[in-house]
Amino acid sequence: MSTRDLVLAALFAAIIVALGLVPPIMLGFIPVPITAQSLGVMLAGVILGAKRGGLAVLLVLVLVAIGLPVLSGGRGGLATFFLPTAGYLVGWFFAAVVTGYCSEHFVDRSQNGIVQIAGFFLAALLGGVVVDHLMGIAYLAFGTGTGLATAFLGDLAFVPGDVLKAMIAALAGRAVMVGYPLLPQRA
Amino acid sequence: MKSLHVEGDTFLHRLPAGLKLAGLAAVSLLLFLLHSPLLLAVAAVAGIGLYAMLGLGWRNSWQRLRVILLTIVVVSAFTLVINSPVDAAAVFFRLIALFLFAATITATTSTGDFIAVVTTAAKPLEKTGLITASDIGLAIGLVIRFLPEVLGRYQAIRDAHHARGLKPKPLTLAVPLIILTLRNADEIAAAIDARGIRSQK
Repeated sequence: MSTRDLVLAALFAAIIVALGLVPPIMLGFIPVPITAQSLGVMLAGVILGAKRGGLAVLLVLVLVAIGLPVLSGGRGGLATFFLPTAGYLVGWFFAAVVTGYCSEHFVDRSQNGIVQIAGFFLAALLGGVVVDHLMGIAYLAFGTGTGLATAFLGDLAFVPGDVLKAMIAALAGRAVMVGYPLLPQRA
Repeated sequence: MKSLHVEGDTFLHRLPAGLKLAGLAAVSLLLFLLHSPLLLAVAAVAGIGLYAMLGLGWRNSWQRLRVILLTIVVVSAFTLVINSPVDAAAVFFRLIALFLFAATITATTSTGDFIAVVTTAAKPLEKTGLITASDIGLAIGLVIRFLPEVLGRYQAIRDAHHARGLKPKPLTLAVPLIILTLRNADEIAAAIDARGIRSQK
């Protein structure tokens, strides 16, 4: 990994942490404030690709583990990895890697804008919603003994918000690609 | 950034960080195997006792623990409604015990000690050729170094929105923030290489 890749991952990790520290953003049509941290995870994959995006999220998780309050709401420390919601947290890493991998394969710089946005949206949806939620549900159901049906039901409440975040990530990913392309290109 | 570490010189502060983490892993495994609410309650009381050894006082402890305690109460209540009271009690005590053991280790281990453990643990990763152990320490330092700048930039972009009478939206905040931040990567990388901090091919 080149020094530039390492620096890009570290800077993106700082962005993800920053997104957790800023006040939640209210969206006009949903009455729930949205914490932007999981948006940052999708953005890491969409903008940096699988390898660097995965490293960025891994760095955030390491910061959490070593006791810095870098998660939204000032949470942090080893205890967060033992909470019922720990599956979603660990799932971030896989979400970023899957989103990055899909972005690298779905999106090409020569495609037109709409196709690129659609590709990014699909990538963010697969990684940030499907993979992350499956891991979250799995740990909630089997790790804490909540039961699969209960865990699935509780999870559903967070799906619309995350689908919306995937949309924002897709639009932002395309905008960054136009302004400052970083995504590794695959033939 | 203020760490959750608490200065002190208790028995727990002096234990090596690697040993504490191994202990935590063993205890968590044991707690997930136990299903009796009574035994788990004993573990929870032990957790409270351990955390009390830090001598933080009620007020300070509450401030540190309340966000996570709320999550535990919500999940236990959820289990109570869907499953049985016995299950709910087991979930509640298990989470309280795990949470307090982990919080105690976080409070008694300094960031430097943790980074040393992480670097040692990352040694096997070097064989994969993806990253070297010393890179992880460097990257953690970079994140902590640049976080205030990212936050400052976010503030500036927000102010720019307000100055122009625009409502801040996630998209119009995130895109300039990301481009402005990542554009520095080349300079920072060049500065690191110029100082020969990473010895690589």
